[in-house]
Amino acid sequence: MLEMFEYDFMQRAFIAGLFIAILASVSGTFIVLKRYSLMSETLAHSALVGVAVGLVAGYNPLWMAVSVAIFSAWLIEYLRSTFSLYSDAILAIILSGSLALAVIIVSIGGAFNNSLFSYLFGSILSVTSDDVRTIIIFGSLSLGALLLFSKELYFISYDEEVAQVSGIRVKLLNFLLVTVVAIIIALSIRVVGSLLIGALMVIPTSAALQFRVGFKDTMLISIFLALFSVIFGMSLSFYFSLPSGATIVLSVIALFILSLVINKK
Amino acid sequence: MQLKFKVPIFDVNNLTFNVRGVNILTNISLQIFNGEYIAIIGPNGGGKTTLIRMLLGLETPSSGDVRLFGKKIKEFKEWHKIGFVPQRASLVDENFPATVEDIVKMGRVSQGGFFSRFSKEDTKHVEDSMLKMDILDLKDKMVGTLSGGQRQRVMIARALASSPQILILDEPNTGVDMVSQQRFYKLLSALNKEENITIVFITHDIGVIADDIGRLFTINQKATICNNPKETLSCEDMSELYGIEAHLLSNHKHEHKEGESC
Repeated sequence: MLEMFEYDFMQRAFIAGLFIAILASVSGTFIVLKRYSLMSETLAHSALVGVAVGLVAGYNPLWMAVSVAIFSAWLIEYLRSTFSLYSDAILAIILSGSLALAVIIVSIGGAFNNSLFSYLFGSILSVTSDDVRTIIIFGSLSLGALLLFSKELYFISYDEEVAQVSGIRVKLLNFLLVTVVAIIIALSIRVVGSLLIGALMVIPTSAALQFRVGFKDTMLISIFLALFSVIFGMSLSFYFSLPSGATIVLSVIALFILSLVINKK
Repeated sequence: MQLKFKVPIFDVNNLTFNVRGVNILTNISLQIFNGEYIAIIGPNGGGKTTLIRMLLGLETPSSGDVRLFGKKIKEFKEWHKIGFVPQRASLVDENFPATVEDIVKMGRVSQGGFFSRFSKEDTKHVEDSMLKMDILDLKDKMVGTLSGGQRQRVMIARALASSPQILILDEPNTGVDMVSQQRFYKLLSALNKEENITIVFITHDIGVIADDIGRLFTINQKATICNNPKETLSCEDMSELYGIEAHLLSNHKHEHKEGESC
């Protein structure tokens, strides 16, 4: 099994993948508890617009994806707080709107090719050392912000109004959370793919919740499940030449089903 | 009244709240002082919860103003002085990953500023308030597995963990059985008398009003303030505001007086 590490691309993919597993599961804990699950899906599609612009105009797709995802996260928060719209409707609108925009940009630029395919479903072959650097720098900053404010974010996830009455700056922290999530999603699309990253955020926490344990333990289980599925999924991807996003997501779903069965009431 | 010389905890002046032209509350003026024990009653839809939400800055009044400890609500920063137990508190999401201790700790989150971790002092406050609410033995239990009465005590422990001067409870007895309700009123009374914590609680169920209450506010779009709740029972204004239920209230009190000493 260890022969896959003889390849440089595999080492890079593993470093990036393990880091992303931690980022996705830690941020995913808050996302799931805040009922923002669909948010990650929407931001991933918005990141695709950035990828499309990057591919067509020749900029770094990862950087473009980060910028567009952050813009989209702020737009969602703005729409949510300013207009009387249901938040799931806002998410559905931005999700399909982003996808439509990305498809048009790619069609006009003539970039419907393998490179786009790897951004949709993830590819272990495509992770460059530049990507690894970007993922480590921005990922560490995002993880730092999440851990720094984890008590506050946990309280807000539990009850936003009570948190506000306790003097916590709820709006500011919600903003911070969606920004960090946008960054993490954009960073993840190399390995997991923009159509599949939502799953890596939501499923490990949903599985961890089945164990009915406190906050810290839930997060730890969630991290463990994400790491395991990334390792297993990437190995499958290597040996069977399958898109890594798909193998990772199916691995995490297998763990989810297992956790349902183990914890059946 | 000697109360007038102190700075009130809450000072509400001419508060009006309307939604799309419909008045929910009209010209409410009231003051709440340190050490008081106040019940707010009124029919469902009468505006009790809206009033509390405006007192806590969760809702902006259409006109009028609210002062907390003498400060305008936008300038008020010492939120740890206020403990709030919202309406749905005992109806927690059963799947939320929280032990009793996780929840009570939330009461300390805003204490140490943005970047701090929980200190020894925080842990001590958390343990103290669990002890006061008699839930220390439930510390590691998941909140979702507790009974309504136990959850209620967890929520109050969370509010107490920030060492508040005032405790505001919105319909605290939703989903709580009768025995726990009686125990709950004893606890509130003890907090008020022994710890000098000001208590304000809302109820729509006038059958459960405790005898220790200092003042009674009835809210039904307007506010009537009764400084002596026992006299209030024959208060004509009140039956006007409260309709038929005022009658029930006075009946309940009579039963109480004839029954065991209270």
